Amino acid sequence: MSVLPPDLDAAGFAAFLDDLRAVVGPDWVWSGDEDMHAYRDSFSPVWNTEQERHASAAVAPADVEQVSAIVRVARRHRVPLFPISTGKNFGYGGPSPNVNGSVVIDLKRMNRVLEVNEARAFALVEPGVSYFDLYREIEERGLKLMVDCPDPGWGSPVGNSLDRGVGYTMPHYRDHFGAHCGMEVVLPDGEVMRTGMGAMPGAQTWQEYPYGFGPDPSGLFAQGNFGIVTKMGFRLLPLPEYYRTCLITVPKRRDFVKLVEHVNYLNDSGLISEVEYGSPLRAKMADPQFMALITKVGGVSDAELDAAAEAAGLPCWQVELQFLGPERATWENWLHAKERILADISGAQAIEGEHFALPASQQQLDHPQQPWTSAIKRKRSLGVPSLGEWKIVRDDGHIGFFPVLPRTGEAVFEMQRVLGDAMKEFPTLPPFFNALTTPLMWHTHTFQMVFAPSIRHDDPAHNAISHAAMKKCVEVAAEHGWGDYRAAPIYQDAVADTYSFNNHALRRFHEQLKDAIDPDGIIAPGRGGIWPRRFRA
Amino acid sequence: MIRRDMLKWGALASALAGAPAAALARAGAGLDVLLLDTRFGEGAAVDMGAARVLTFAGDVTRIWYDHLDRAWRQPGFVVGGITGADALFVLETLAQQQGRKVVARNVLAAVDGIAPVSWVIAPVHPSVLA
Ligand SMILES: Cc1cc2nc3c(=O)[nH]c(=O)nc-3n(C[C@H](O)[C@H](O)[C@H](O)COP(=O)(O)OP(=O)(O)OC[C@H]3O[C@@H](n4cnc5c(N)ncnc54)[C@H](O)[C@@H]3O)c2cc1C
Repeated sequence: MSVLPPDLDAAGFAAFLDDLRAVVGPDWVWSGDEDMHAYRDSFSPVWNTEQERHASAAVAPADVEQVSAIVRVARRHRVPLFPISTGKNFGYGGPSPNVNGSVVIDLKRMNRVLEVNEARAFALVEPGVSYFDLYREIEERGLKLMVDCPDPGWGSPVGNSLDRGVGYTMPHYRDHFGAHCGMEVVLPDGEVMRTGMGAMPGAQTWQEYPYGFGPDPSGLFAQGNFGIVTKMGFRLLPLPEYYRTCLITVPKRRDFVKLVEHVNYLNDSGLISEVEYGSPLRAKMADPQFMALITKVGGVSDAELDAAAEAAGLPCWQVELQFLGPERATWENWLHAKERILADISGAQAIEGEHFALPASQQQLDHPQQPWTSAIKRKRSLGVPSLGEWKIVRDDGHIGFFPVLPRTGEAVFEMQRVLGDAMKEFPTLPPFFNALTTPLMWHTHTFQMVFAPSIRHDDPAHNAISHAAMKKCVEVAAEHGWGDYRAAPIYQDAVADTYSFNNHALRRFHEQLKDAIDPDGIIAPGRGGIWPRRFRA
Repeated sequence: MIRRDMLKWGALASALAGAPAAALARAGAGLDVLLLDTRFGEGAAVDMGAARVLTFAGDVTRIWYDHLDRAWRQPGFVVGGITGADALFVLETLAQQQGRKVVARNVLAAVDGIAPVSWVIAPVHPSVLA
């Protein structure tokens, strides 16, 4: 479906494309249905409907000078640009823009790993560098560093972290934006700026001290629309010597509260890597009576779940702990975790799992041999990028709502009940929120839960249900103070609306900034729910 | 591309037969590699002539990382495959990023709920044309 940029006719669009070609050469500008298919969001809940957002063209610059020149051309023609790094943001909008007719600025050609410093544990990369590329560079040079990557590894450190994506190793590395250190940005007037120590000519510490002097604007470029990032530094975890896994189970529903407190302590003290909470009772989910219990309106009581667990001979909860570090430290940290939890929670049990020296062998990566049914995905836990996670994609894709909630057992129970009840309106969707739904500890200091209904290209009725359920989730969650951490363009206004303290003071502040530096909305208007004056009018 | 050889390749043939002549012409002596997704059978009977056969079971990571990612950084290199639609989605998305496209595809009968697809990915962007 061919579209034009806002306020531009076909002749104006043609002139604009000519100007782009003059910057990057004729081979690096695309338009027309066939070429633009690659820039559609194949996970869109409004696939092939009037609401689907389409870009009008795409342009791929080779370097930062070309990025600046493109921004200046776009400014002259008042055409919104939508920057992508590797464009794999599936579940959150893929490569598609907020505004119909925007031009995707595809940074895939800027794919140089500029520096990987082993002794000081950092990397500096361009936006087109994927996790695989960075991993390959480290592997081929034999550097003792670990990359923290998302599932799947085809995305980029720059794109992923600018959407505040997450990984699966130690607490301060798996928050990818939190682990960045220094960026170079092309501003909406085409000017090139560096943040932190990068602002000081001759400084050798760009990837070591993020703040420099004065206010640090780097947060504005994540889930924001204030510039196009052309270089970004990341802190890397020195390759740990050893990996150890262990399991703790606790018998009763209410034990989850104490279990969470202990795991919080271990996490915040830097003693453990990512954790996987779960419930052994999931094995009973094929039983309709049990299913009715865990999805019942108003939630399950302690006594009810405890009785079901006792009848099944299973504990209510488990947590898989992972340890990274020197072998002796992983052992001592595990002993400490076990002693702490077993002394405090009656009936808690501990099982030791696989452990081995790093780097792991291919066999250890591909064929985990845990003595329990494990939810740990070995590769991502060890910073090895993979595409295998694609098999979790049902139908033609999914959309995601991942509410942030407090790191307490009580908050988990409340979210299970509140969102479980709210989603009863959509009986054809799987019961994402039920009495066994456990939290994820993706970001360093918070919990999230997963709501990810599928979409099908040939079933608009199903997509409409997923879409309506998403909007309902955002709304109901906000009534309880639970906010989405990240959203596809089509949901960004609704999510931004929920961050409304003091009559939307935060949004008004963002709008003031946007109006000051980009009133025509050249960079991703609408991203993060931030609209410049031109589009608000 | 020697059409005579392609026709020996069973399920792949129908996809190839539908491919635009220009795209196939770029294949030179034929496919450089054929990918077989073993979720749909072992593919032992496939007579590949000159092309190398690489097998995997749904997860394309190793094949892409060890072979395709390197090959797709150079001009040329035509890949054929009989794989799940899920694996093809991953490969197609990666291929697009490196100036390549699916130039032929043919959905085959589903096995265990997953439909295998036979396909050809060839270079289309001037920067990677052989
Ligand atoms: C099965 C599956 C599993 C997933 N697992 C994870 C996971 O574990 N963790 C996770 O975080 N995500 C996950 N995702 C979501 C997504 O695939 C990844 O986050 C992916 O890394 C994002 O794509 P990208 O890196 O190519 O970023 P891009 O798509 O390039 O960028 C994301 C957004 O950031 C902005 N942006 C990008 N580059 C720039 C720039 N240079 N300047 C300014 N703005 C920019 C744009 O608005 C863009 O839309 C998963 C998705 C699926 C389907």
